[in-house]
Amino acid sequence: MRATKGTTMTGPAISVSGLRFTYGALEAVKGISFDVAPGEILGFLGPNGAGKSTTIKMLTGQLRPSGGGARVLGIDVSTDDPELQARIGVCFEEKNLYLNMSAKENLEFFASLYGIKDPDADGVLRRVGLADRASDRVKTFSKGMRQRMMISRAFINSPDVLFLDEPTDGLDPATAAAIRTTIQEEADRGVAVLLTTHDMFEADQLSDRVAFLNAGEIVALDTPENLKLRYGSRSVKVRLREGDGIREETWPLDDAAAATRLGALMTSPDLLTMHTEEATLEHIFIRLTGRGLAG
Amino acid sequence: MNRRVTRAALVASIVRKDFREFSRDTLYIFLSVLGLVFFALTYYLVPDTVDETITLGIHQTGLDELVEEFQTGADAADGLDVVSLDTADHLAAAVAGDLAVYETDAGDVVLVGAGAEAEAPAGATRRDVTVGISFPDRFVASMVDGERPTVTVYTGTAVPPEVAGAMTSFVREIAYSLTGHELPVAEPDAVVLGPDRAGDQVSLRDRLRPMLVFFVLMIETFALSSLIASEVLNRTVTAVLVTPARVGDFLAAKTIYGTILTGGQALILLVVLRTLTTASAGPLLVTVLLGAVMFTGIAMITGSAGKDFIGTLFYNMIFILPLLIPTFSVLFPGTAAPWVQVMPSYPIIDALTRVTTYGAGWSEVTGSLLLALGWVAVIYAGGLLVLRRRVQRL
Repeated sequence: MRATKGTTMTGPAISVSGLRFTYGALEAVKGISFDVAPGEILGFLGPNGAGKSTTIKMLTGQLRPSGGGARVLGIDVSTDDPELQARIGVCFEEKNLYLNMSAKENLEFFASLYGIKDPDADGVLRRVGLADRASDRVKTFSKGMRQRMMISRAFINSPDVLFLDEPTDGLDPATAAAIRTTIQEEADRGVAVLLTTHDMFEADQLSDRVAFLNAGEIVALDTPENLKLRYGSRSVKVRLREGDGIREETWPLDDAAAATRLGALMTSPDLLTMHTEEATLEHIFIRLTGRGLAG
Repeated sequence: MNRRVTRAALVASIVRKDFREFSRDTLYIFLSVLGLVFFALTYYLVPDTVDETITLGIHQTGLDELVEEFQTGADAADGLDVVSLDTADHLAAAVAGDLAVYETDAGDVVLVGAGAEAEAPAGATRRDVTVGISFPDRFVASMVDGERPTVTVYTGTAVPPEVAGAMTSFVREIAYSLTGHELPVAEPDAVVLGPDRAGDQVSLRDRLRPMLVFFVLMIETFALSSLIASEVLNRTVTAVLVTPARVGDFLAAKTIYGTILTGGQALILLVVLRTLTTASAGPLLVTVLLGAVMFTGIAMITGSAGKDFIGTLFYNMIFILPLLIPTFSVLFPGTAAPWVQVMPSYPIIDALTRVTTYGAGWSEVTGSLLLALGWVAVIYAGGLLVLRRRVQRL
């Protein structure tokens, strides 16, 4: 957790316990449990059909859980209390904006649904770099601009919890970086963020913790560092010049003989490169589930 | 942040947004304005007068006395004018429209080829012969001899079949009369059930009025269903439903928006057609309101069903075209067929016709309005159910 500024909440912002959901005979979410603290970003990772969207729909009040329970900001999500929606922000994967309305009109309309009389639409648009396009209809926006509009809409009610579904999907690196910065700023002011993404780099960079979801179950939940340490190989790969060619050696870090050998190599003129063999989140996911995230 | 927003405020916000979206859609604005202008122009361009006179052409030899008797009778009665032509071929050509028939002040009949009306004598009055009876030569003598002469009745294509039937009966009556027989029944006594509109016929313009109002209600259904389809297909409704707004708020907003959009334009048209008077305002407003809610319900169904613009248009056609059938009953007066009378749109058309055409009041349209209310309740409830399920399954 990087910061918890600006929050008065002491318990978890999101608390999920044994949450289940079934579509007919199909059990889409199989009794998952996790917490998200104020100011924490939890990366929710899993392939399509893993149960991510269903979980978010339950937590945002769009679906009623089949079993278990969940509280967001202390409110039971199955009670249909509008107070829940008043205090959350949701960024959908699909760009569901009113295309014939301007950026500012879109934000003002959604602000009115939260009972906000004088929303700071210009200020919110400024945060995502769209202040100069406030009066333009959204249908004239590029894909990246629409994505930034989606983020700004999620911010319009100054939510305490953000649900972000693939917020940087398909964006150019500069726009994606700008959106990540904005998300981090929200977390820094104490907002709890549940982030679903296929982008392992993004999950690694933004998330305080990540949850691997597969076939409706959480198969791992920890900080990226701990997951890498737990499931990585803890080894060092060195590349050495050997005659006209290059030779590679891999040494496990827990081996006493490796320390002696690596110490010697450090002063060798033949040493070209030395890298720790740290596992990526994707490698860990495949190792745990036997399948990739893209599927 | 802890704010409370009332359900009414939520619904009002969504309705305002819907009207803003509608105002930005050039196609639907264009169609709405065009529809109003077109229907108003249509109304004012069709004739406001009624010419119910039938000009009967007669060809005969040796029946001058009979024709004179006809003409004397026709002069005394409304709706019948008799013109005598010299040959059966001229009579057939006149009824077919190949010859134009003119009558001078002196009573002479002048025939001019169709398209050569300029050759007609100055001051002569044109007679549009729509029905003709041609008696064969020696008609009376043949009857007296016990033969069965053939009398030909000509009718134009625009003449209703019942007129041709009446002429046939008329000839039969003449035959009885000429042979000195009496008809085996007393002269029928015609009793008009309902308002007798003899001499006070309804003009085409007046007949069109309820039809045009119904068309306006129908046209706005396309705009409403398109808006609903757009909300569903683009999933903007999902974004609305993760705010404090609920499905019920969304449905209420669509009901209000749809009713104002369709009913409002129908009322504008009624004002433009100078139909909304103090006396008719109450029944008319209720009828238009019922029609607007009915079409809002239909738009909810078609907007939920369509996967794209074409799909929405297709479903609109499936629902709306059958509902148009009862509107034609106002153009062709008479009792509508039983299967037409059970259609959901019939009681609305019936009430509109009674109020706008015949100046009916509450007591005369209550039955139709109650029937309409039943249909509206069924269709609107169906619309709510379908749209609710569609939204909840997104």
